[in-house]
Amino acid sequence: MDDSKVKFTPKQRAGNFLSSFGLIVILLIIFGFFSSLIPKLYFTWPNFRDMIRFSTYVGIGAIGMTFLIMTGNFDISVGSMLALAGVIGASIAIKIGGFIGVIITIIIATLLGFINGIFVTKLKIPAFITTLGMMFIFRAIAYIYTNNVPQYIQDRFWIFLGNGSFLGLPLPIYIMAICYLIAYLMLKKAPIGRYILAVGTNSKAAALSGIHVDNVKILVFTLVGVFVGVAAVLNSSMLGAANPGMMGDGYEFQVITAVVLGGTALSGGSGSLGGTLLAALIIIFLKSGMSNAQVNSYWQQVATGVVLILAVSLNKLKFWLIGQTQ
Amino acid sequence: MVKFLKLYEKIGIFILIVAASIFLAIVSPNFRNLSTILGIIMQGSYGAIIAFGMTLAITSGGFDLSVEAVMGLTSVIIAMLIPTMGFAGSIIIAIVASCFAGLINGLLITKMGISPLITTLAMQVILRGASLLITGGRQVVISQKAFMSIGATEFLHIPTPIIYMIVLFIIFYIILNMTAFGRHIAASGSNEQAAKMSGLNVSLIKTIVYILVALSASIVGVIRTSQALIGIPTMAPGFTLNVLTIAILGGTSLAGGRGNLIGTLFAGIFISMIYYGLNLLHVQIFYQMLAVGITLLFALFIDGLRNRYLETARIRGIRV
Repeated sequence: MDDSKVKFTPKQRAGNFLSSFGLIVILLIIFGFFSSLIPKLYFTWPNFRDMIRFSTYVGIGAIGMTFLIMTGNFDISVGSMLALAGVIGASIAIKIGGFIGVIITIIIATLLGFINGIFVTKLKIPAFITTLGMMFIFRAIAYIYTNNVPQYIQDRFWIFLGNGSFLGLPLPIYIMAICYLIAYLMLKKAPIGRYILAVGTNSKAAALSGIHVDNVKILVFTLVGVFVGVAAVLNSSMLGAANPGMMGDGYEFQVITAVVLGGTALSGGSGSLGGTLLAALIIIFLKSGMSNAQVNSYWQQVATGVVLILAVSLNKLKFWLIGQTQ
Repeated sequence: MVKFLKLYEKIGIFILIVAASIFLAIVSPNFRNLSTILGIIMQGSYGAIIAFGMTLAITSGGFDLSVEAVMGLTSVIIAMLIPTMGFAGSIIIAIVASCFAGLINGLLITKMGISPLITTLAMQVILRGASLLITGGRQVVISQKAFMSIGATEFLHIPTPIIYMIVLFIIFYIILNMTAFGRHIAASGSNEQAAKMSGLNVSLIKTIVYILVALSASIVGVIRTSQALIGIPTMAPGFTLNVLTIAILGGTSLAGGRGNLIGTLFAGIFISMIYYGLNLLHVQIFYQMLAVGITLLFALFIDGLRNRYLETARIRGIRV
């Protein structure tokens, strides 16, 4: 697990090890189940490659959210953030060029994350409700900006980012790997990792020991924006368009599910990037399996809700098992 | 500042309404006749009714993001059952099903200890999916025109939704402000530990509150279905934001323990006035989304300010 050094007893280590091992088991069960159910559609290299390629969309967005939930906050505006950054970047790409468009997308998302952070910390209002308001504001601006017209992406560089291959593997996988590597180093090696955990565990104690809690929170909200920006580039690249209404619809739900399923405590203070990555894979493997098995899409919707509740319950169970009260 | 904020808590929403009324009366000649005003109040009644339930939930220290899905569920159950069960039967089953969803919310939150955010967000997705499943994704037309008598008629020249709003307001007002149960809701919200220590069954109180939220959402679902004569599984997308905005704008504090139903009632009307004003400008529907989002942030700003000053006052030992 990617918990920092501040932790912990062997018993807790065992609990943490079990929880990440548990995710691998769930992943294998899901993969095995659909592979035996529909081998010709599911158990093929192209499908496997596509599933991993699509998982980058949730996986990368969930990195920032992992940090954020570790500090005890939420951001439910990520879906709208994805759409707003995507449509602005895509419209710039049409006029100026793909490379600039990609940069603009990430910058816009970063800025939106920063705005969220400022609102949450300076106005002292709970993050979920602030970002709920932002969710609608960002989406409305995306509609207004584009006049509800999808922004098609024809730029070759941008298309290549989401659809290209390198050494036989899709490019997004490398991008995701780099994102996780950077995030891992930040969490383990840089002071910010310790600050995040300190703020999430006990923000009063963190403040008393000289950490500027507000700045840490603003930084983490901004990081959510950065990673959502990268996800926005890949998502619009894979779909070939940035659609103000459809893009990122339900994204916040997938991302939060990935983080929670990955074993990050909702109360903050502990979390795992590896778990988040595995959980993102689980979500996509399950989704792809259900689609390929032609499960009614409404059932899929019900299933995603149930999975989230189960994920939280599993977390509760885990913490109860290792004797840590949340 | 504390005094100003206390004053705002009591009369802030009225100032907003008066200001908006003067503005609308100047720019729109139509606004000056009674039927327009009744129309605005009627449009506001849907949000206000659900916000009564939401006010209780926020007072108890939680909130519910699944209300729009409850409306959709009510709508499709009624549309599917009306041909066989008649009006009363289908409405009762729809409301019972909605209350059951509220019960599940309450149990997950209180017994499993899952946060209201996750629980009701998941419930929202589950109920939407279930509603779509029930109708197979279609909208179901209700052929019994008489069903319109529930929500699309007038009583003494007043549209029936306004009457429902007033009746429900009185009921919720009595529950919150005049009964022991209402005091227990506030106690659970302001200090859950203390409430438990003093022997309150906080789990039961909160569970009942979530049932009441679902009930209020279901009632609006019935009214809206009756007006449209269609069962719509994806009814009122984004309406949850309206409801939360109304409750918080009305002066109910997100910190819990302080519910203000009178404020909620008028905040519902105020939001409807914003919509009316925007319609005068002939802007696209996205601007309404933007306006509600910004109103929510404004209400949160005031709420945050108030909490901070109350905290400071408490530390200094000032009685407020």
